[in-house]
Amino acid sequence: MGDFRKREMGERALASMISASITARLSRLACASLISALAISAGSAAWAQTPAPAAATAAATRAPVEPEEPFTHKLPEWSPHWGFVRGGWENGGTRIWNGDTGKMLGLVATGRWSDLALDPKRRFIYVAETIWTKVNRGTRQDMISVYDPVNMALLAEIPLPGRLIIGAMKNNFVISDDGKTGFVYNFSPASSVNVVDLEKRKLSQVVELPGCASLVPVAGIGFSALCSDGTLATVTVGPKTSTVTNSQPFFKAAEDGVFDFYAYDRTKGEIVTLTYTGLVRTVKLGATPVIGEAFSIQAAAGVRPGDTKPLDINWFPGGRQAMTLHRATGMLYVLMHRGEYWTQKAPGEELWVVDMATRKVVKRVPLKKEAGNIEVTQDAKPLIFLSGDEGLLQVMDAATYEIKHTIERGGGGVIATPDID
Amino acid sequence: MKRFDFDGLGEKLLRNFAGNSSRRSFLSKLGATIVAAPAFPLLPVARAQAQPSKPDRSPEAKTAFARNAQTKDDTKCDYWRYCAIDGSLCSCCGGGMSSCPPGAEPSPVSWVGTCINPDDGKAYLIAYRDCCGKSACGQCGCDNTDRETQLYMPQLNNNVIWCFGTKSMEYHCSTAVLVGKAS
Repeated sequence: MGDFRKREMGERALASMISASITARLSRLACASLISALAISAGSAAWAQTPAPAAATAAATRAPVEPEEPFTHKLPEWSPHWGFVRGGWENGGTRIWNGDTGKMLGLVATGRWSDLALDPKRRFIYVAETIWTKVNRGTRQDMISVYDPVNMALLAEIPLPGRLIIGAMKNNFVISDDGKTGFVYNFSPASSVNVVDLEKRKLSQVVELPGCASLVPVAGIGFSALCSDGTLATVTVGPKTSTVTNSQPFFKAAEDGVFDFYAYDRTKGEIVTLTYTGLVRTVKLGATPVIGEAFSIQAAAGVRPGDTKPLDINWFPGGRQAMTLHRATGMLYVLMHRGEYWTQKAPGEELWVVDMATRKVVKRVPLKKEAGNIEVTQDAKPLIFLSGDEGLLQVMDAATYEIKHTIERGGGGVIATPDID
Repeated sequence: MKRFDFDGLGEKLLRNFAGNSSRRSFLSKLGATIVAAPAFPLLPVARAQAQPSKPDRSPEAKTAFARNAQTKDDTKCDYWRYCAIDGSLCSCCGGGMSSCPPGAEPSPVSWVGTCINPDDGKAYLIAYRDCCGKSACGQCGCDNTDRETQLYMPQLNNNVIWCFGTKSMEYHCSTAVLVGKAS
């Protein structure tokens, strides 16, 4: 009890001295020295209770104490080998990992109700997010928060009329190839898309888009989206209004839907789509999209094609972000698991590597740890980031399929990698 | 089993809407959706009628979930009604299978699933209504995906937070309300 009182008095004295020093407008250095000195003397008092020899040894090896100035790091120059990996449901922040070293570089403040998008030119980090003035109530606020890529300072907030609240998905918030226009999906529960001028940092228009979702930019035109009638909608964005056209149907939305995490290749102006049963297809984007022929990923591996029948155990694609494309090589990486149909969210037990030129599965890589999200870096020596529900992050060498890093609590959510020129 | 009471549900919904004028904007948006997309099957009843007249309910035609589902414990993910649920079960959070925990507000809209009750082998339409306005319950997390679709068919997608038309869109937990027989 006596000790406690003494300690309490000491704390009070310390607090009042700090307060006094502030009111006296002492220099920051002097203040820091004072606090350091007090901390050291408090420490010495505590050590006095420990056996003398130990204290003597500690004193002899103690390094000289220099006053330190706290500071904030900048992000180093962006590397193609970085992975922006979102935490899971409990911690929505997006950690930036250096895939070469396995070290964390920083964190993007993505709250639970947000989507991250990286500027293709790496000039900005964008977060489309929804918050309320009183945390879980009050006035709802939807916006794109703009951060600089070096200091990660908040540069601007672009108000939005609304957005879909869903956690995070890969294609809810996408940016045009030139980095000038953002497309943010909204669902209220009427379906629409906010078209945002990222240069002027303001909303330019809202396009009603009933029955469609999951966006991809279309160079020189606007954007496209998948629709419940099995078509691809293409929206030609004008200065004030837009026109929507639909392709011919090419998938069955309710029976064998195209996953909304489809991959975009801006160098070819194409997307690669994948259905629940495992049909892979390329679609050339444009005013009139060209729908390519589908092939079965299972057949491409010499396995029986997937179908929708119950009790038919096969390999199926699954996960929340179960596919990624390396543009330069045309290699498609897909997370696959064994099971019956309607297991489209089940995490991958194997990684299947599809050569899109030959339409063959060239490698099947068993995964020691299951993964539900995958993203490949776009450089010439690519790394593959894999994350799972438990927050385990793995970094794989795409040439050798060797796991280079296994990171606990690395993040279980959506993964993004920086674009390259 | 009690028959589905259309009139009762209609009255309940009307009373609910009438008593909450702040939901007008939400209703207008919902109306816009229906007007803008006449083929958009938002109403679960419409979906029920769209089912084939005599679907195959044999064990061979059932999904893995349906073959293994149980009818005794609604705090477990394999309870039959949860065939397409994603989220915390309100039954584990102080609420029930079709009721919200204290202080949470039920969403007037939902995504839907068609689940088979193993006791009678029949299919029922289930409305998964989120309970809203409090931070996430975090108990009994389930993610079942029978006939679950992608975001472009939101009424069958279980990722969307369905807290529309509530005072707060904060997600708390999910319920599984029996709507009626699917076929």
